Amino acid sequence: MTTAALLELDQVSRRFGGLQALDGVSLEVQQGEILGLIGPNGAGKTTLFNVITGLTAPSSGSVRWRGKAIEGQRPDLLCRLGLARTFQNLRLFRQLSCLDNLQVAMGRNDRRGALELLALVQLQGRAEAAAGSLAYGDQRRLEIARALATGPQLLLLDEPAAGLNPVEKQALRELVQLLRDQFQLTVLIIEHHVPLMMQLCDRLAVLNFGRRIALGSPEQVRRDPLVIEAYLGKGAP
Amino acid sequence: MLDVSLLVQMLLGALLALAVYLPLRAGQLSLATPGFYAVGGTVAALLSTRAPALAGDGELYPLSSVLLELLLALLLAGALALVIGGPVLRLQGIYLAIATIALVEILRVLLLNSSWFGGAVGIFAIPQPFDGPEGYLGAYGLLLALVCWGCHWLEQQPLGRAMAAIRDDELAARCMGVDTDRVKLLAFLFSALVAAAAGVLAAHYFNSWNARQASFDASITSLAFVVLGGSRTWLGPVLGGLLLTALPELLRPVGDLRLIVFGLVILLGPVLIPQGLIPRGLINPKRP
Repeated sequence: MTTAALLELDQVSRRFGGLQALDGVSLEVQQGEILGLIGPNGAGKTTLFNVITGLTAPSSGSVRWRGKAIEGQRPDLLCRLGLARTFQNLRLFRQLSCLDNLQVAMGRNDRRGALELLALVQLQGRAEAAAGSLAYGDQRRLEIARALATGPQLLLLDEPAAGLNPVEKQALRELVQLLRDQFQLTVLIIEHHVPLMMQLCDRLAVLNFGRRIALGSPEQVRRDPLVIEAYLGKGAP
Repeated sequence: MLDVSLLVQMLLGALLALAVYLPLRAGQLSLATPGFYAVGGTVAALLSTRAPALAGDGELYPLSSVLLELLLALLLAGALALVIGGPVLRLQGIYLAIATIALVEILRVLLLNSSWFGGAVGIFAIPQPFDGPEGYLGAYGLLLALVCWGCHWLEQQPLGRAMAAIRDDELAARCMGVDTDRVKLLAFLFSALVAAAAGVLAAHYFNSWNARQASFDASITSLAFVVLGGSRTWLGPVLGGLLLTALPELLRPVGDLRLIVFGLVILLGPVLIPQGLIPRGLINPKRP
């Protein structure tokens, strides 16, 4: 191995009763890359996020962060190590103001820092508004800002473009790239919008029925017959 | 109509309401308040009647002895809250409420059946540190002001904000680096301290203390204070406690019907004014 990976998954499996949600998934996330995770519904993408962020313990296999085993650790401790996530179904603190949402994640009183982050996601005008009162697209961006407020090294985005219109999707792509460059972040992103992922990601991993069926550059993945069979379909863009 | 002794009871009501509010701010429906209130009152009643050294030489019971009782009561209630809070706060929602009701019942039965605590008769002739209700009014006013200031300060701090975040979404709070177990335990601890302090003064004020102070009724009453007043900011429970304590005295002719009034408040409050009398943002003028 030339450079040590930021995050390594080694043969991670997770079973829920009779359902094998993850089946021996191995994956290395390199420092500074944007790695996309695609696959059909129920392929285990969110379960993989939950295993990485400590919400679900793996049934077997190991997760290593900078070489140290972290599987089964508490989510709040993992967050402080530098892993932050958003949720597929928004989980903002809906009654709290946008500012307070960010300051909870910061863990300190830092109004100025929170306002800077809000400006980064174009929400500076809504600082005192309750998070639950924002428009849907704004809530998506606020959740990304909240994850940033924890000061992460790895940002895990779970379907950040879901429900966004094409203009917002394009803006999201630019935002994620900006964040990677400005904060030296590594990004792991789940998204169904394939053209967006092809443009945005350095590498793509494809899950199907809990197995990783492909891994490589967007170009490689797009031509992979297994991926075409399971997910993209013939004649996909 | 509003005589001094009613004012004292109103301040006591506001303090108990704040004790219910603190865990509720962190989304934890704990009904343990009367339990810790009874711990405080029992410590005060026992020490002031059984320890001659504390009685002093003057006609009035010395205030320094009350402070000593307060200190011991806070230590005892705090230790109890930390020991019990660990396992109990693993429960969520209504199950936590049931477990804390059980805690109050255990304390009540313990007080009722132990002759050391005065049994069913209770402890009588608790000495008076003040020569009239005005003194208690001042003492309760000071305590309430202190607790209100503390709550106001807490709400501006990361800890208070983390409490509100847990109430909105505990799982998300955990994923954002909040040690939710610790925050919930601290909220439970603060609640116990406020209730115990209120109990110490109450034992002197009522002049007698018995097991009936820790009852399921009292749990529901103090919950009604918060439901009516609102639980988003400390002003809500204070207002609810003041109003609902005064109400039955102003409606004295209806007597025991006041429990029905409390029931109606709990029933109708969430329907008619879901956020209580003081919703979030009412005292935050910066909100657009």
